[in-house]
Parts: sequence; C-alpha cells; structure tokens
Amino acid sequence: MPLLSSILLVPVATLVLLLLLPSARSIRWVCALSGLSNCILSALLWHNYDSGIGGVQFEEIIPWVKGAGISYHVGVDGFSTVLIMLNSIVYFTGVLTMWDLRQRVKEYFAFMVLLVVGVYGVFMSLDLFFLFFFYEIAVVPMYPLILIWGSGNKDYAAMKLMVFLLAGSALLFPALLAVYHTAGLGTFDMVALAAHNFDPQFQIFCYPFIYIGFGVLAGMFPLHGWSPTGHVAAPSAVSMLHAGVLMKLGAFGILAVGMRILPAGAVYWAPTFAVLAAIGIIYGAFVAMRQTDFKFVIGFSSVSHMGIVLLGLNLATLGIAGSDALNGAVFQMFAHGIMTALFFSTVGFIYDRAHSKTIADFGGLGSQMPRAVALFIIAGLCGAGLPGLASFWAELLVFLAALKTYPIIGVCIVLGLVITAVYILRVFGLAFFGPPNPRWEGLRDQDMKGMELLPRVVLVAVLFFFGLFPQAMLGMIDGATAVLLGRF
Amino acid sequence: MTLHGFILLGLALFSLGLVAVLSRRNLIAVLIGVELMMNAASLNFMAFNRYVVKDPAIGQVFVLIIIGLAAAEVAIFLSIILRLYRLRRDIDVEHLTGLKG
Amino acid sequence: MDSLTLVLLATGAPLICFLICILALRPHPGAARVVALGGMGLSLFGSVTLLLQGPVEPLRFLWFSSGEIQLQFGFLLDGLSLLFAVAVALITFCVMLYSIGYMAGDPGTTRYFAMLSFFAWAMLSFVYAVDLLQVFIFWELVGLASFFLIGFWYEKPEANAAAKKAFLMTRVGDVGLLIGLLLILPLSNSFDLPHLLDPQAGLVRLALPATLTLITLLIFVGIVGKSAQFPLHTWLPDAMEGPTPVSALLHSATMVAAGVFLMARLHPLFMASEQTRTVVLCVATFTAILASTMAMVERDIKKVLAYSSISQLGFMLIGLGAGSLFAGVFHLVTHAVFKALLFLCSGVYIHHLATNDMEEIGRRGGRQLRLTTAALVIGSAALAGVPPLAGFFSKEEIFAQLGHGGLGPFAIGAFAAAFLTAYYTGRMVFLVVAPAQIEETSHDHHGDPQPWVMLAPIVLLALGALTLGFFGSSIAATLGVQLVHHSLVSMLPAIGVVALGGALAWFDFGRKSAPRRGFITRLAALETLFIRQWYVDDFYRTIVVRINTALAKTMHFIETRGLDAGFDRLGFNTLGLGALATRLQSGWVQIYTGGAVVLLGLVVAYFGLR
Repeated sequence: MPLLSSILLVPVATLVLLLLLPSARSIRWVCALSGLSNCILSALLWHNYDSGIGGVQFEEIIPWVKGAGISYHVGVDGFSTVLIMLNSIVYFTGVLTMWDLRQRVKEYFAFMVLLVVGVYGVFMSLDLFFLFFFYEIAVVPMYPLILIWGSGNKDYAAMKLMVFLLAGSALLFPALLAVYHTAGLGTFDMVALAAHNFDPQFQIFCYPFIYIGFGVLAGMFPLHGWSPTGHVAAPSAVSMLHAGVLMKLGAFGILAVGMRILPAGAVYWAPTFAVLAAIGIIYGAFVAMRQTDFKFVIGFSSVSHMGIVLLGLNLATLGIAGSDALNGAVFQMFAHGIMTALFFSTVGFIYDRAHSKTIADFGGLGSQMPRAVALFIIAGLCGAGLPGLASFWAELLVFLAALKTYPIIGVCIVLGLVITAVYILRVFGLAFFGPPNPRWEGLRDQDMKGMELLPRVVLVAVLFFFGLFPQAMLGMIDGATAVLLGRF
Repeated sequence: MTLHGFILLGLALFSLGLVAVLSRRNLIAVLIGVELMMNAASLNFMAFNRYVVKDPAIGQVFVLIIIGLAAAEVAIFLSIILRLYRLRRDIDVEHLTGLKG
Repeated sequence: MDSLTLVLLATGAPLICFLICILALRPHPGAARVVALGGMGLSLFGSVTLLLQGPVEPLRFLWFSSGEIQLQFGFLLDGLSLLFAVAVALITFCVMLYSIGYMAGDPGTTRYFAMLSFFAWAMLSFVYAVDLLQVFIFWELVGLASFFLIGFWYEKPEANAAAKKAFLMTRVGDVGLLIGLLLILPLSNSFDLPHLLDPQAGLVRLALPATLTLITLLIFVGIVGKSAQFPLHTWLPDAMEGPTPVSALLHSATMVAAGVFLMARLHPLFMASEQTRTVVLCVATFTAILASTMAMVERDIKKVLAYSSISQLGFMLIGLGAGSLFAGVFHLVTHAVFKALLFLCSGVYIHHLATNDMEEIGRRGGRQLRLTTAALVIGSAALAGVPPLAGFFSKEEIFAQLGHGGLGPFAIGAFAAAFLTAYYTGRMVFLVVAPAQIEETSHDHHGDPQPWVMLAPIVLLALGALTLGFFGSSIAATLGVQLVHHSLVSMLPAIGVVALGGALAWFDFGRKSAPRRGFITRLAALETLFIRQWYVDDFYRTIVVRINTALAKTMHFIETRGLDAGFDRLGFNTLGLGALATRLQSGWVQIYTGGAVVLLGLVVAYFGLR
C-alpha cells in the first residue's frame, strides 16, 4: 500500500469503523490508535523522503474523470511532508485532549476524523480539483463541531466561521476554474498547470482571488474576524485543529496553488499583501492585549503569528531574501501549529475543571495547578519567540527577510516582539502569578497527571526538539524552497 | 356576426372573468370567474372554428375537452371549498394565507 | 582533560542539574540543593581548569543552514571568556552556597535552585559563545532566568510587576540588538565571532563606516537594556524584589554584566566607529552620575546597591568606550566580586534583622554582626575605590584611559561619579556602623544569625576584594594586553576624590555629632529630583504605558466596532434582504395569480411585438 494513500485511508477507515462501534470508550481508543499510527506513518514519510533529491516524491496517480481531466494525484515535497507531520501530531494530541468528552461521542469523532481526512487530502493533493474537494471536506465539519460541542456564543461563531470560509471558497472556486480553462490543457493536474506559462495579465487578475480565497482561511488581515470568535466557541480539540492545522491549509493553498501556478501574479501583488500581513502581525498583538478571555488572547495571537507566515510567503516572491522568507514561513506554520495546539489543549484542560476561561476570574493559578500553568507558560514563551523553542528560528528567518527587503516593515515587526511579550506576560501576571484565588482551591488536586499529561508533553517535546535542532526542519524545507523559488 | 365581434365578445367575457378571479374575496365568486374565463376561451375556439378553419371538427373537440376539464376542476374546487368551510367556517381568500412565507 | 570536555562540563553540569531538579526533585528540596551545588562545583572546576590551561582554538559545530547562511554553535575559549567565566562560576557557586542558608525553609526551594542552575548554564554558554546568534540566544535565556528569579515569590504582586518590567525593558533593548545582528548577516553571511572580529577580513572591512556605526549603535541599545543604563535602567532597582542572593548574582555581578561583556567581546567593532564611542561615553557617564545621585538619597540598602551597580556598569562602559579593553574588563571582574560581597552582606542583615532600611539596620544592631559588618566595610571600601582594594586599581585604569586626550568632559563626569560613589558608600557604611542609638530589642533569631554557609562565601569574596587589585597584570596577560604602570602622582586625583567623598560622608553620618542627614537635603529641589529617580519611571508610566494602552484600545475598537461590526452588519443585512423577499410570499392565491397573469401578458406582448 503506497504510503501517502495509507496516511489518507487510515483516518477514512477509522471513520467508517467508529460509525459502527457502539461504545464511547472503544471509539476513543480507535481514534487514538489511528492518530498514533498516522504519526508513525508521517514519521516514516519524513524519514524516507529524500531531501537530497528534493522534488515531488511518493507520487500516485489514478485517473478519475477523464473527460474533465480530474485524477487522484497525490505526492509530497518538503513542505507537504512537514505539514502532514503537523496534522498527524495535532490529530493524535487532539483526540487525547478530548478524552473526557461524554456528549455524543460518536458524532464528534466522526466529524473530527472527517476534518482530518480533508486536511491530509489538501496537503497531499497534486490535482486542483481534488485539492478543492478535500479543502471543502476539511472546512464544512467545523460547523457542526462548533455548533453542537462548542460553548458560549456558539451559534453566532459557527455561522460566522462558515460564512467567511465559504465566501473565501466562493472567491476561490471560480478562480480555479478560470485557471483550468485559461490553461487550455484540459487537466486539473497541478504539476502540469505549474509548468504552464500563463499570460501575465491573467495572472495579475486571477491571483488576488486565490490569495484572498485561501487567505481568509489563513487569517489574513482584515478578513480574520471569524477566527478568534471561532476559537473561543469551539471545543478544545477543534480549536487545536482549527488554529493548528486549518489555518495552515490557507497558507499552504497560497503557496501550492497561488505561488506555484501564478508566479507573476504573486510577485505583482506581494508588496500589497506583505503590508497587510505586517499590519496583521502588529494588529493581532495589540488587540490580544485587550482581551478578557484566554481563548480570545490565543485567537488574536494566532492572527498575529499567521501574519508572520503570510509575510514570509509574500517576501519569498520578492527575491532578495526569498529563501529565508519561505523557510521561515513554513517553519512558522509548523511551529505555530504545535504551539497553538498546546495552548488550546492546556486552556481546555483548565476550562474543563474551572468552567471559566475569563482571565480575571483566575489569579495565582500557578500555585494551584502548577503543571498546567507551566505548560501554558512554555507555550506563551514560544509565542514570544524565546530561543530554544521552535518559533524562534521561524521568526528569526522572517525578521531577517523583512529587514533585507523592506527595512521599515522589518523594524516594525521586530518591535512586535515587545508587544507580544506584553500581552503574554499580561496573561501570566493576571492569571497565574499573584496570590492564589480562594475560589479555585479545589483545583489543587486536579492538576494534570498521567494520561492527561501525555498530549501536552508530546507537544512540548516537539517544540523543544525543533527549537534545539532547527536543522531537522530546515533540511526538509530548504530543498523545496529552492525548487519553488526557481520559478521566480 | 363577424369574427371580430365574437373575438371581442370572448375578450370581454375573459376580462370579466379575470377581474372576478383577481378581485373577489369569496372563493365561489372566484370559481365563477374561472368558469367565465373558460367559457370565453371556448367561445373563441368556436368562433375561429366557424370563420377561419376549414375542418369544423378541431374547434369542437377543443370545446368538448374544455367542458370536461371545467367540470372536473369545478368538482375538485367545490369539494375543497366545502372542506375549508367545514374546517374554518370561512372562505374569504384574504384569510386563507397559510402558505405565507 | 581536553578543552571540549571541560567546557561541556562547565556549561552542561548546571543544565543537567536544572533538568534533574525541575523534573524529579520537586518534593525533595534538600536533595535539590545538593545536586545544584554539586553541579555548580563541577562547573567551577571546569571553568577554572580551562582558565589555567589558557586560551585555545575555538570549537565549532554546524547548527543549521538556510539558503546561504550557516550558523554555528560552539565555544570561544580566549582570555576574555575564560576569565569572565571563572568569575561567573565562582560567584554563582558562592551565591548557591549562601542560598542554602538564606532560602532555608522556603517552599519553593527546588524551583529556586533549579532556576539558579538554569541561569548558570545560560550565562556560561553566553560567555563561551563563539557565534553571535548563540550569544543572542543565551542573552535571551539569561533574561528569562532573570524573569523567573525576580518573580520567584510569585504570589507577591510587586515581585511579578518587577519581573515583568525587567523582561519588557530588556526586550526593548533586545529588539535593537537583534536588528543590529541581523544587519550583519547580509555583509558576512555568518555570525562567527573570530571571523567577524578579524582585523583584516572581519566586519571592519566588510561594512561601510556608516553601516558599522548603525550596527554598533543598535547593539549598544541592547547593552543599554541589559546593563541597565539610562534610559532603560529603571528595571534594576525594582528587580530587588527578588531574593537577595539573586540580586547578588544576577543584578550585580553577572547578568547585567553581560552587556558590558558583549561590548568587551565586540570591542574592535566599537572602536572602529567614532560616533558610537561618543554615544557610549555620553550615555555611560551620564548614567554613572545619575545612578550615584539616586543612591545617595535611597534608604533601602538593596536599592542603594542596585543604583550603585548601574553606576559602576556605567564606569565599565566608560572604560571600554574610552578605548581600554583591560580597564573595562578589570573593573567588570572586580565589581563582580565586591558587589556580590556587598549584596550578600546586606542579605545577612535583611535575613536577621527583617528590614531593608539602612537606618533600621543600624538601629537594630547591625554592627553587632561583626564578621558581616567587617566584610561590608571591606566591600564598601572596594566600591568606593579606596586603595589598595580591588576597586581602586580597576577605577584607576579607567581614569588613566580617560586621560588619553580629548576625553576631558567625560573624565570630569567620571570623577564626579567617583566622588558621589565614595559619598553614598560612606553613607551606607556609617548608617549601619554608627547609628544614633542601638535598640536592645530581641529579634526572632531562627538559629545562628550568621550560619557558616552564609559566612564562607562572604569571607571568600572579602578576600577577593582585598587582593584582586594586585592581580591586574595577570588579568591583563590573560587578555593579551600590555599593562601600563601608573605613577603615584597620576593616581592622586582618584585618591583625592575618594577621600573627599568619604570625608563628606563621615561629616554627614559618621562622626559623633553627625546630623545624619545628607548635605543634599539642604537642596530640596535636587533632593526631590533624586528621590523621584529623575522622573524617568514616571515618564514611562505615564507616557509609554499610555501610548501602549491607547494603541491597543484603538485597534480593539477597530476590531469590534469596525471590522467585526462591519461584517456582522453585512450578514444581518443579508438576512434582512431575505426578509424583504419573503414579503412576496403573501399566501394570497390571487396575488400569485395576478403576478402570473402580468408576466404572461409581458411575454405575449414581447413575442407579439417582435
């Protein structure tokens, strides 16, 4: 069984299986095992991908609809391998985070696994039609997941999320069809389309549709409003998937579809979108400073960090520091995905026990739940760009690229380091340090232990691993960067 | 009478029927209007049959079909009206807005 | 043992102790202390052996490559790093030993020793770093350790506020440092220190003079933040919220000295830019005077020492800026010893007499703790620059360098600061040693007021303060610098200034009928200025915090009332459109019929008229 299709089919088989299983306990274990096996398969993929040769590997093609030129065409390069690994890790830790779910377990895991399938499909897909197909499969389950298992203002949040994302798709789909028709090759195959030279005018016209269409999902400023609201209302594992993986779908779409197929358009629009991304970085950080809910802080922090990704992607097209920018952007996709999964996993744990996510409700939690707090602090420090954790390298590369390309923007976003530290330390100070709040004395013996520690420790370990050994990541990404930038 | 006369007569009858359908509040009056319209159409067919068409059978066949259809339709319409009246004691069109969106 | 093993021992032993403590020793504080101290002992052994073996070639390992950039990880074992590493390791060891006594019974003991070990690892790795990026990474990690140690008693809001302030202010400096470092990269594609500092092929040749000035100025911004120079100095007095051993280690001897160390390390680059040197001298001289003025009106003994550190760091930067690597580094080393000594002494007073206020310490019988008081006097004399103690020799080097042409105003400033230093130091000593009266109240003595674990480090450091001055030539030799002997005559101005300051302090505080009010109280306006710390903090609190809050509020407003509201309006209006459309569905059959008829008529007309 070819490796990529296995990675895709394991969750599909899991989905079918769990629909037939009667007990919640067996469903949980099946999903956890499925997540674990996907992690192993992704690690195998990573290990066996030859970054010396680079390019697309593990290719499989099965013609699907010959008349329209649609085929099941999957393959990975350096970027996809990294992101598939990310998805597997977040899938596994996400399942473990929802271990205590009691309400409608079967439906929940069914939707969640369906979402994961969609994400895998997007990362692997080399056929434009299938990419969009899997994209929709990944986006749509968000609605029931938030609506049924969410909390707070979930109706509004779920609807807002869906409308934004489907509006993005509405922009995207015609653009994809336009690409298909203009190429005149009669195929949706992305490799063939990437090789085709589109008319520059067409590229300039079509690119913003693709960028904005995917960009909505990537949390681009100013179309990011769905994201913090969605994060807050969603249950923990859904937030983990949403911010950790789903937003990377958007960025990956820009990379794989926009930049590969319409390079001239990307170059033309890069300055504009780079400025928007830079604004997003600073803006997200400042708005995060005023939030009163943990998850809102993390939500806006995601907007800010995805701004770094988008900035990197845009700067990559501009040549001067292209490879640094692109390496930094993809590294940040991975690092931020893990970090934000850790954030939501930990906040979810605290929320399950305290039934509050309002920062002001807490205070001195550090003495009552030291382990949970320590994990959150590690995630927070990662967000602040502390060396030793994965985000540091990603941000360093993007800062470098920005300073080389647009020095003023570069200085502004490096100042973003201070602003980020301000809002993160604010949360620490208000919620974790200080005299313990007597209201939560009961939580002292409910701190994380045993299985509860597992997903969070895994995530921390990944953050430290890539923080200490960035070459492990960069070795994988660099080859793909060189190939992609060859087109510019 | 000339063809024109019959056509005008048919048009007048049809318009009266249409006005009755659109403006009367009582369902039975609407039914009467529908009948008027159908009979006007029949008259039109017979006029053309007599003055224009060579084969005198076509128009007559149409009229017979219309009469049969009208009878069937009246039967259904009246049974609906009877049912409505039994349920609501009211057959005022302005009050029958259950399909309002 | 070979260099690699030794340096890995020196840096790695504390790291392993940190991991052991934090992961496994939470419930065993006694074991944590032993592990941490043991690790530090090994580290000390490693660094001392390295120093004795002398400078060797750097050791490098490739860490990552992205595009054309290659970044190394490794150890630079030249005189400067060997020397400072020993100072760091020794003082950390002393502080750890002292902490066993000072922190006895504290519930967070394991966490404390774990963080101290973490700090030791980060600091030593910083000192031995061979690559500027590695320097930056450990610079940040040292700042992180400082955050957790200042905020060690995290249930106290003041400690948290101080930790946050320290982190944020140093972060502002770090931004400058990072930008400066990143500007180097396009020029040389590597951060390797020996390569960058090479006089023939290094940055001095690769960069335009204007670029070099910009880079060094940006790096200096980082130094200003980390070494608490004006205007990023206000975090250091607040950092005294942390336990006294932490203040002794981080905020006098090692962490804040990291900035000075960095300038010493990059000295050739700074020397190549006239403008940067001038800026450095201006900032450093001003800071030295500024901090001294604040010290002379302060009542809290730890804060006096904090201001004193700021001031002395300024002195070190003056020495470096004036052009003498030896002067700056010598003072760095001597200051580390006597400032740590002073803090540890103050810790004994605080621990035993339960007060930080100097007058209270005096009144409660501080002088009766004889050994500590003697050490205090020794340390103060060294700080003031009384010959033949360590501080005198190192300060003398700085003055001598300032004598080399064209640095007149800075020399005057340095002398003024030295005068003030002698004055406030004398004030501190006399307040403790010669109080108006001593109360005969009994305090809650938890055991021996001067346990041996606290006294041994004090004695050791006092010995260092007494003798280190005579090691100047060995230090110079290690640095690879020639020592110039100064005649007695040239030393007279320094001695005179110290004597003057000391005399004034004695006059104000020391003699039998002393008023025990500083002369400055007669100049009320100036006194207020000094007490209010020259309003710098007030400025930050009002202006900077306000700007930050205003920006955040604006963006939040844009988010909620602008973007969110806009999209919500769009959504609800669409729903409204739908509601409009439903009005067509009236449920009236006749309306539907009428509509159909009209449409039919239109169609017929269209086809009929065609």
